[in-house]
Amino acid sequence: MKWRSRVLLLGLAVMAIAVAIYSTSIPEAHECDTAKEIICAPTNVVELFEHKEALFSMGPFDVTRTVFLIFLATLIVVAALYFAFRTPKIVPGKFGVVMESMVSFVRDDVAKGTIGPDGGRYAPYLLAVFLLVLVGNLFELLPLINFPITSRMAIPAMLAVFTWVIFVFVGFAKNGFAYVWGIIWPKSVPLGLRWLVGLIEFVSTFLLRPITLAVRLFANLVAGHLMLTLLLASGWLFFSSAGEIGARALIGVPWFAFGLLIFAFEFVVIVLQAYIFTLLSAVYIQTSVHPEH
Amino acid sequence: MEEIKGALALIGYGLAAIGPGVGIGIVVGNAIQAMARQPEAAGMARTTMFLGIAFTEALALIGFVLFFIA
Repeated sequence: MKWRSRVLLLGLAVMAIAVAIYSTSIPEAHECDTAKEIICAPTNVVELFEHKEALFSMGPFDVTRTVFLIFLATLIVVAALYFAFRTPKIVPGKFGVVMESMVSFVRDDVAKGTIGPDGGRYAPYLLAVFLLVLVGNLFELLPLINFPITSRMAIPAMLAVFTWVIFVFVGFAKNGFAYVWGIIWPKSVPLGLRWLVGLIEFVSTFLLRPITLAVRLFANLVAGHLMLTLLLASGWLFFSSAGEIGARALIGVPWFAFGLLIFAFEFVVIVLQAYIFTLLSAVYIQTSVHPEH
Repeated sequence: MEEIKGALALIGYGLAAIGPGVGIGIVVGNAIQAMARQPEAAGMARTTMFLGIAFTEALALIGFVLFFIA
């Protein structure tokens, strides 16, 4: 009981810091003309769409905060896997149990559950994608980071390209040219409509699949980050200008409360989007392994 | 008549959200029905429900992205 309440307090403190950083992301709130523009380009939002100044440069590569966070996420994933499975134990510790349950979830439920008995071959890729996306999404709510790296289109797009390459390669390796022929000339459709269905299937399989896979993750995280920044920061803007606008500062209370609600809701979105990205990758690979289904 | 201001892209996003809103409702509603009728198949229904939600939601999200591009 004592241990549990300590963890709860720690979690609440971390959440409070993250909320405070989101709230105060408006630069010089008092210099904003509240009558004209409520939001004066919060730094959080600027970071979503523009590159900030580089922290340092290595030759032709500028290392911005986003690039640094990408490497940090990779490092966290590698370190977590290394320390969990460095010395395999029969009875793993607390951390080991968490990591083992994640690995077995991805391997047994997602990979083998979707692709079939030979799905274990694709489990390493799916596990890497799942953990990287999960850590990248969790950066949204971690204090002092407060920025989901998956909300820069490059990360989901690159992961979607990897998935695309894998499922096209697997399709050709398992079925040869019959893989593409089965898509653009489906036998089960009447002859008159076959070219139309084939065209739609071709576009949706080879063009729309990677695009929607990437856009789904990207847009969810951008929307969450924008909502958090706008709601919490506009609530805080009302509070902090209470001296000038008097009792009207109470308008900020519902904004702030709604922001806190969204903050809790984002935990669900984060885990769900990592799961959906992994699940859809597995489903796309499955349609290449068994194209008749 | 006053001048109408605002981004046309906002209306576009609103229109793009109608279809997926209805669609997700249908997907989740039918998944709940399936789970209630056959609780032993609830796991399979849940996985398929998330898949359906993900496919349906993509349309609304493309609208959301186009709002920023436009």
